[in-house]
Amino acid sequence: MRRMMRSAVVATAALLAAATLGACSGGSSGGSTDAGSGDYKGPKVTVAFWNGFTGGNALQLVPKLIDQFNSEHPNIVVKSSPMQWDDLDAKMPLALKAGKGPDLAVAHGEDVATYAAQGLVLPADKTVKTLGYSEDDFPTSVLASGRYDGHQYGLPWSVTPLGLFINRTALSEAGLDPNTAPTDAASTKQALEALKAAGRQGEWVSGYRYNDGLEFESLLWQFGGDLFSKDLTKPTFNSDAGVQALTYMTDKIKDGYSPPNVAEGGTLKAFITGDSAFSWQGVWSTSDPALQGVDWTATAVPLIGTQRAVRTGSTDWMFMRNKNQDKNKTAAAVTFVQWMNAHSLDWASTGELPALNSVREDPELLQKYPKLAPFIGELPYARYYPAKPGIGAVIKLITPGIDEAMLGKKTPKQALDDAAVQAEQLLKRNESQYGG
Amino acid sequence: MASLPLAPATSPASRLSRAAGRGRRKTLTAYLFLTPFLVLFCVFVVAPIITGLWVSLHDWNPLLPRQPFVGLQNYIELFTPGSLTSGDFWESMRATAIFTIASVPFLLVVPFALAVLLHQKLKGGTVFRAIFFAPYVLGVAVIGVIWKFLLDPQSGTLNKVLGAMGLPDSIPWTVDVPWVWISLVGVTVWWTMGFNTVILLAGMQGIGSELYDAAAVDGAGVWRKLTGVTLPGLRPVFMFITTTSILASANMFGQSFLITAGAPGDESRTAIMYIADQGLKQSQMGAASAMSYILFACLAVISVINFRLQRERS
Repeated sequence: MRRMMRSAVVATAALLAAATLGACSGGSSGGSTDAGSGDYKGPKVTVAFWNGFTGGNALQLVPKLIDQFNSEHPNIVVKSSPMQWDDLDAKMPLALKAGKGPDLAVAHGEDVATYAAQGLVLPADKTVKTLGYSEDDFPTSVLASGRYDGHQYGLPWSVTPLGLFINRTALSEAGLDPNTAPTDAASTKQALEALKAAGRQGEWVSGYRYNDGLEFESLLWQFGGDLFSKDLTKPTFNSDAGVQALTYMTDKIKDGYSPPNVAEGGTLKAFITGDSAFSWQGVWSTSDPALQGVDWTATAVPLIGTQRAVRTGSTDWMFMRNKNQDKNKTAAAVTFVQWMNAHSLDWASTGELPALNSVREDPELLQKYPKLAPFIGELPYARYYPAKPGIGAVIKLITPGIDEAMLGKKTPKQALDDAAVQAEQLLKRNESQYGG
Repeated sequence: MASLPLAPATSPASRLSRAAGRGRRKTLTAYLFLTPFLVLFCVFVVAPIITGLWVSLHDWNPLLPRQPFVGLQNYIELFTPGSLTSGDFWESMRATAIFTIASVPFLLVVPFALAVLLHQKLKGGTVFRAIFFAPYVLGVAVIGVIWKFLLDPQSGTLNKVLGAMGLPDSIPWTVDVPWVWISLVGVTVWWTMGFNTVILLAGMQGIGSELYDAAAVDGAGVWRKLTGVTLPGLRPVFMFITTTSILASANMFGQSFLITAGAPGDESRTAIMYIADQGLKQSQMGAASAMSYILFACLAVISVINFRLQRERS
């Protein structure tokens, strides 16, 4: 118990220290020197690179790529610091304000605008120009999702859509053809009824952000709705489309296709054991080692609503603006990013799709990683979050509502309405803190 | 006056002043010895307390260039129903209250029962003492991960065991109320009871055996000895563990964070969890500091009541 008290004290101290630190070190924003172009030729520098690549194949691949880069570039040493995404989000801003942050970082696309509004990222307009990147070099609207306030702040590195994972053994055991995947609401229902008749709850769902929150967003877009109004001032996820989307998910439990009260991560666990034949999972799960002993495949998410759509995340390179940022380090970081993008084919082994079209469309990629084909096929209609400071926190407010609806504590309509009330207030606060 | 021959060599007054001088020197020495601690205390306790109060009066996002002064707005918002933070904050305070009220009685009674048992001259008593204390050695991350695994409603060991015994096997231990509270309280009691047990045991060993002998002579049985000798003898110890248990439970963070992730919805998200989320993740230091002060005020009131109650009894 002492320990708990101590941790509470430490947390409070950290809170206050952070506040104080922030107070002492303001004013590092303003002055928009660009990250510039690649091909660094200056004196030897060390580039601090923070990222959230802590799991799976990335754990071996990142150091391997960095070693190769470092040996090819005698005047640059890239030093990678992998940490949990949550830790990275928590540590990086204050580290940058203190001048001890990374020179280069990878972040989730939806956070780029927030970092930019906080003055923590260097614009990369010149970099984009020098590297010759344009919208057409990336999947639709990815490059735009890294823009904020007329500047490019994020350079796309990878994209991560959801897909429908299918446990072929589960289908065979229920007497279904393992090669026929459901493509719409009717064929999904048909397959789930057949599985139910064979005594199996075919598609487990729960009420957590990963991946039920992402499934909800995909369905919302499929039913023609959107998360926010066009000007991003009002939540609209509680529209009829939102209610239809969430009802589709709660009906899985009502119709007996999923047990109630599934725990966090329970949908993937059930898919691996074959208890659940179908599951909406992110492309990143393709590299899950637990799937190695499973006879599985993946397809595009079925069309449940009226139009094709699927939620996709993205990760972006960001050139960070430390207090007294060393220009040489930034220039070296640009060189590294350029090199990494060119060598990103094997990034597919981590379960993320390389963002550069030229790399992703290289036939070698699908030869090596054939299971990624359906995910790549989804990209033309994949949807990203809008670029707006603080938007990630607003979207996270939907998750408790989804949970309450899945547990039957509220109707889908009530749950979404309640979440929308909060979301609107947070949008207002963001507006007042970050400006329009 | 000078002719008074029998004036004492040292008048009471001068003796007094010399004693006072010695006293001042003594006080000074004491303060000198205290200085290292006082410096740390000021830097890490007093200064943050004052800074926190200052921060709570601002719209303080440390990542933005300006921190506008908003007066008591952060506090007012917490007491305005329907505002962005009030609903979530009071829900988290409610979660903290439920957990504290549910866990503290167990954190007192169970360790007391264990201490009574361990106090018997048993063979292997030390082994049991070590076993009961063992979980306390583990960090919250370890016990969180272990219990999340054991309590998983679908794939967890507990439900499997219950099922094998013919009992309900789909209890949502980590997903729905009231089960999450049973899980969180159970895990916490299992984890920390060793600490209170050891403290109580030490207290029991401090009660003189002659008191028990006297009670025995007066014809007291086991129960009478317990209520007439053991419990009164443990009063200061109980006051200590009641206070620390209440404070520790009110500061609960890790168990909810790891085992239930606040589910269902945000119902098991404790005050500390919400404050940490607002302050550290959402960078709303002003609002988070205001919340900390309200939590502090509540805990201070409870502690004062606790001390009063115990003092009146003695």
